[in-house]
This record gives sequence, structure tokens and C-alpha cells, in this order.
Amino acid sequence: MSVRRRLVPYGLLGPGAVWLALFFVVPMYFMGELALRSGTFTEGFTFNWEWGNFPDALDGRGGQIGRTFVYSGAATVLALLIAYPLAYAIAIKASPRWRLLLLFAVIAPFFTTYLIRTIAWKTILADASPLVDFLQFATLVPEDGRVLATSGAVIAGLTYNFLPFMVLPIYASLERIDLSLIEAAKDLYASARRAFVRVTLPLTAPGIVAGGLLTFIPAFGDYVNAQLLGSPNQYMIGNRIQSLYLNDRNYPEAAALSFLMMAAVLIVVLVYIRAAGTEAFMGEEEEAR
Amino acid sequence: MRIMFRKLSISTATLLATLGIVACGGDDTVGGASEEEIQVAEAGPVEGELTISNWPGYIDPGKDGSAAEFEERTGATVKYIEDINSNTQFFGKVQPLLDQGESGGRDIIVVTDWMAARMYDLGFLQELPQEDLKTVFDNLSPQFESEGAYDPEHKFSVPWQGGMTGVWVNTTEADDVTSVNDLLDPKYKGRVTVLDELRDTIPLVMRADGVDMENAGKEDWLAAIERVGEAIDSGQIRKVTGNEYTEDLTSGNVVASIGWSGDAYLIGRDDVEWRRPDEGCNLWFDTMAIPVGAPNTAAALEFMNFAYEPEVQADIAEFVQYVTPVDGVREILAERDPKLAEDPLIFPDEKFSADCVPFTEPPGDDADVQEVEEAWQDVISG
Repeated sequence: MSVRRRLVPYGLLGPGAVWLALFFVVPMYFMGELALRSGTFTEGFTFNWEWGNFPDALDGRGGQIGRTFVYSGAATVLALLIAYPLAYAIAIKASPRWRLLLLFAVIAPFFTTYLIRTIAWKTILADASPLVDFLQFATLVPEDGRVLATSGAVIAGLTYNFLPFMVLPIYASLERIDLSLIEAAKDLYASARRAFVRVTLPLTAPGIVAGGLLTFIPAFGDYVNAQLLGSPNQYMIGNRIQSLYLNDRNYPEAAALSFLMMAAVLIVVLVYIRAAGTEAFMGEEEEAR
Repeated sequence: MRIMFRKLSISTATLLATLGIVACGGDDTVGGASEEEIQVAEAGPVEGELTISNWPGYIDPGKDGSAAEFEERTGATVKYIEDINSNTQFFGKVQPLLDQGESGGRDIIVVTDWMAARMYDLGFLQELPQEDLKTVFDNLSPQFESEGAYDPEHKFSVPWQGGMTGVWVNTTEADDVTSVNDLLDPKYKGRVTVLDELRDTIPLVMRADGVDMENAGKEDWLAAIERVGEAIDSGQIRKVTGNEYTEDLTSGNVVASIGWSGDAYLIGRDDVEWRRPDEGCNLWFDTMAIPVGAPNTAAALEFMNFAYEPEVQADIAEFVQYVTPVDGVREILAERDPKLAEDPLIFPDEKFSADCVPFTEPPGDDADVQEVEEAWQDVISG
């Protein structure tokens, strides 16, 4: 193998590595260093290995931490329940012409910015809006109840905003399925349900796993939905970080909390990938080993 | 998937190692007041671009608006941005820039008097050359001259508009709200909001509670914060807001809010009115200041003079309906729209603002103030 040929992989990795170094490693360094400073905003923050910032950042924040897990977890599950049938319909049931149109409809909201879309939900879910009137009529919301400024609104907002990230990977994995495999299952006397559980679902597992990650991670760090659609009783960790930076101007604690949040996400993701990787429904790959 | 997991853990390890190596050096300081000499804003020929940062709905907009008139008259281009929603949040946003001696292109910022004082103390504002602000000082209303507790000599700020903090009430749904205490009435549960500005909300709550503000100590402030905190936890208070409180009043989500006297235009509803609470209100003014690093101080100073011309100010007052700091505006408005000239929200007489007092700072030294501010942030950040 020529030297040039051996260098090709490094050349291909280069841009990505530079990108990662510039926009991930370097900021992480500054944030890590900031998280270990102490002092006040007016006197300045000095670096002195102040590990106390980490427990301080969590102190009294149990409510927000719990909510962050519950809201982002619920949003991920809801997004999966909505996205799978949708992706299934688009990839398998729809005619090719409709497929394109439906996919476009999934992506269409992205033509408006995330912030504007969330603010629009404020209007849609306003106390006196037709939608809320209807929900009250249908007794899904109590007569004197509301939707805005509740946990439900925040979870709904998160689900809505990150739904396309769930739909697209699942669609991609569904689209690749060789339909004759499902036919074969049916020929071998599998019921439609059994064929789905034993054939379709396992084959789309990578899409589900990827979609879950793409939904859960941004939902976990989100603060816009809680800010706009919730009340202080719905605030998540992201809101606390924002407030530590902008209102308290306690940069070290904000940096420490950001690190802890990243660590939490990392652990959740690793556990998730591990579980997804060893679960029986990953059949093919497991048996191959 | 297994493979992916392994790769992921390798890259994580590499990353952590890299971090461990690089995280060892450096002990320079972030933040802190700069000790450089304070500069004086320079006057000169007016040209180029003038960038003004202001609160929403705080100037007559559009082609016939005051900013456009300034462009026409001077040939400068005005970039007027409404990016201030709350003093603390705005400060948090621009502080890292100002700390580097940059203003993010801003030539004029409009912040409340106490915030201007804080910025000046940190070396974030330029001093104003009084001799170049002739129109300002010729027309500055005496009422505003004397009340400038934070900057009595107008060294670094001149008033933009004044106003009062009280309660906005939806008269069809909550006509009986006349005091801040009424906001805590269980029948309005989840339908009231308060402001996220400590100095707006907490003194009102304290006074409603019968606290003597003159002799109030840190404990009284903390107790009032606690009271608001309980109301947030119980869901009585729906939101803690900046200037966006007007949106919930407009949509009818909320029937009463602590808010600022001149926001009728933003709310845009005839059945929502501003009331001076029984126990009194807060008086304040927002000031124009020139931040360090402002690229076009000449135009900024000229704009300050411009805004103090009674004719121009009458246009602004007619639109924003806050308390105007410029003498002679009342006479002009009397001709244009006699009703406005009699509006106590624009020209409050002594009787109307009798129980109203300028902003009160939390008592004690810097550390005490910080403790109170942190307690407040803890309560409003959920």
C-alpha cells in the first residue's frame, strides 16, 4: 500500500476532526475551566479548582432535574408512538407520489423557525382558544382548567418540536425493508401482528434507536418549551442554566450544571444503546456473533 | 450496536484525556470591573449608522416615526432594535461584550436608572459631555431632574421615558383588583402574573403587606420573596415575566398583572386598564446611555438632543404614553389631542402619584443586595 493510500482515511477524517476540535473540544475546555472557578461576578471569577460548584449546581434543583427526565422521556415515547405509524404509512402504505408529499409535510414545519413555531402554540393553546374550548367540551380538560402553563403543554411542545427527528430515521429504516421478507413470514403462517413484531420491528430497530436519541437529547436540554408553554413550576434544567448565566451571572455554577447535564445525557444514552444493542429484537446482529 | 458503543466509549475516553491535559493551565480572571479610565463620549459630525437598543413599543414606529425623522434630518441610518425585555436579562446578555470593551454595535441602550448606575460602576458606560447635550438640558423637566437618585447630575444617563409600576386589570373579569394583595385572591388562581424585576415586584408586595419601606430590612425583603415563591409554587401566580406580560393580558390568559403604566398600546384592549394599587406604586425612569465601545457616539449624542425637542417628544409621548421627561410636550399635546394632555398616566399630577415612590434598592451592603437578588432568582426560576 502506498503512503498516499494509507493517508487517505486520515485525510477523510481531517475536516471532521478539525470541526470537532474547534467547536466541541475547545469550548468544552473553556467551560470546564470556568466550572472550576470561584468568585463573584463583580470581583471576577478566579480559577482555583473549585469542585464545590458541582454539588452547588444540584443543590435544591431536584424538581427541575426530575422534570427534565420525565418531560424529555415522555416526549420521546410519545414521539415514537406517533412517528412509527406515520413513518409506516408513508414508507409502506403510501403510493410513491404521495410518499414525497407526505415526507414534505413532515419537514414543512422546519421552514419556520423553532421559536416562532413554539410561540404559535402559545396562541393555539391559549385559555380561550377554540382548541381548549373543544378539549373542555370533550371533558379532556376540566371546565375551569387550562392547557397552557401545565406539564402537558410542555411535553406536547417538546413532542411536536422534535417529532420529525423521530419520523425521518424510522422512515429511512422502514423504506429499506425488503417487503418479500414480510411476505415470507406470512407464507410461513405468521399472523400480520406476528410478522410485524418478529420481522418489521426488528429490522427498523436501528431507526428507532437513532430517532430516540435525536429526540431525547435535544428535548433534555431544551428550555424554550418550558419557558413559553410552561410556568416556573414546569421549568427544566435548561431554564436553570439560562437563568444562572443571564440573571444570577454565576458563570461557574452554570458551567458546572451544564457539565452535569451532559454527563447525565451521556449516561442515559450509553445505557440506552447498551440495552438496545443486547435486546433480543436485535436478533440478526446478535445471532451473527 | 455493540460496536458503536465501544467506539463511543473510546472517543469519550480520548476526549476526557484531552480535557485533563489541557485543563491544567491558566488562572486569568473572567469578569470583574475593568479598571481602565472612563471615557467621555465624543461629539462630532453626524453620519453613518446609529444603533439603538430599546424595549418593545417604546418609540413611534414606521416611516413617519421619530427614528425615520432623525434619518431624514441628519442623513444617518438608524438601526432601531427592540432587544430589551428585562434589565437583568439584557445585562446578562451584553455583559460579556461590554466586559471586552465592546457594545455589539450598539450606540445607545435604554435601561432603567438603577441598571444604568450599575453598568456605570462596572465601567460599562461612557460619560456624557454635558456641553454637547444642550437641547437635553434645556428641556429636561424639573420633575425628572430632581428624582434622579441614581445619577443626579446626568453624568452617564439621560431619561428616555418615565413610568409607574402598578397593576393592569381586566375590568370585565377582575374589576375588584385594586391592590397587589388581590392578585393572591384564590379566585384568580393561575390567572395573574408578576414582573421578574426584583425592584418592581417585591417593594409592591411589601407595601401591600403593610411593611414600612423606609425601615425595611433584608428579612422583610426575603419574607416578601418567600411569599411570592409560595404563590408561584401553588400555581396562584401563572408566570413571572419581562415585558411579555402584555401578551397574556391581550390573549385573556391572565386577568391581572403587575405591569408598567405605558403599555396600553402593547396590550391593545379597551377593557384592560392600569391602576395605581391602593398601597401606592413605583416610580422609575428608563435612561438612554452610551455603552463603551459604541461605534458612533456623535450620532448617539445628537439623537439624545433630537429626542428632547418638544415636537419630537410629543410624537413619542403620543405613541408610547409613558411619563415624558421633556418640558413643553403637554402644551403641544393639548393642541393635538386634549384628552392625552389630561391623561394622568402621561402627566401624573401630585395627587395621582402621591403614594408612589422611586425604586427602592434592597438594604445593606453589596453582599446583602446579592443575597436578596439570588433569593429572588431562585424563586422565579422554578
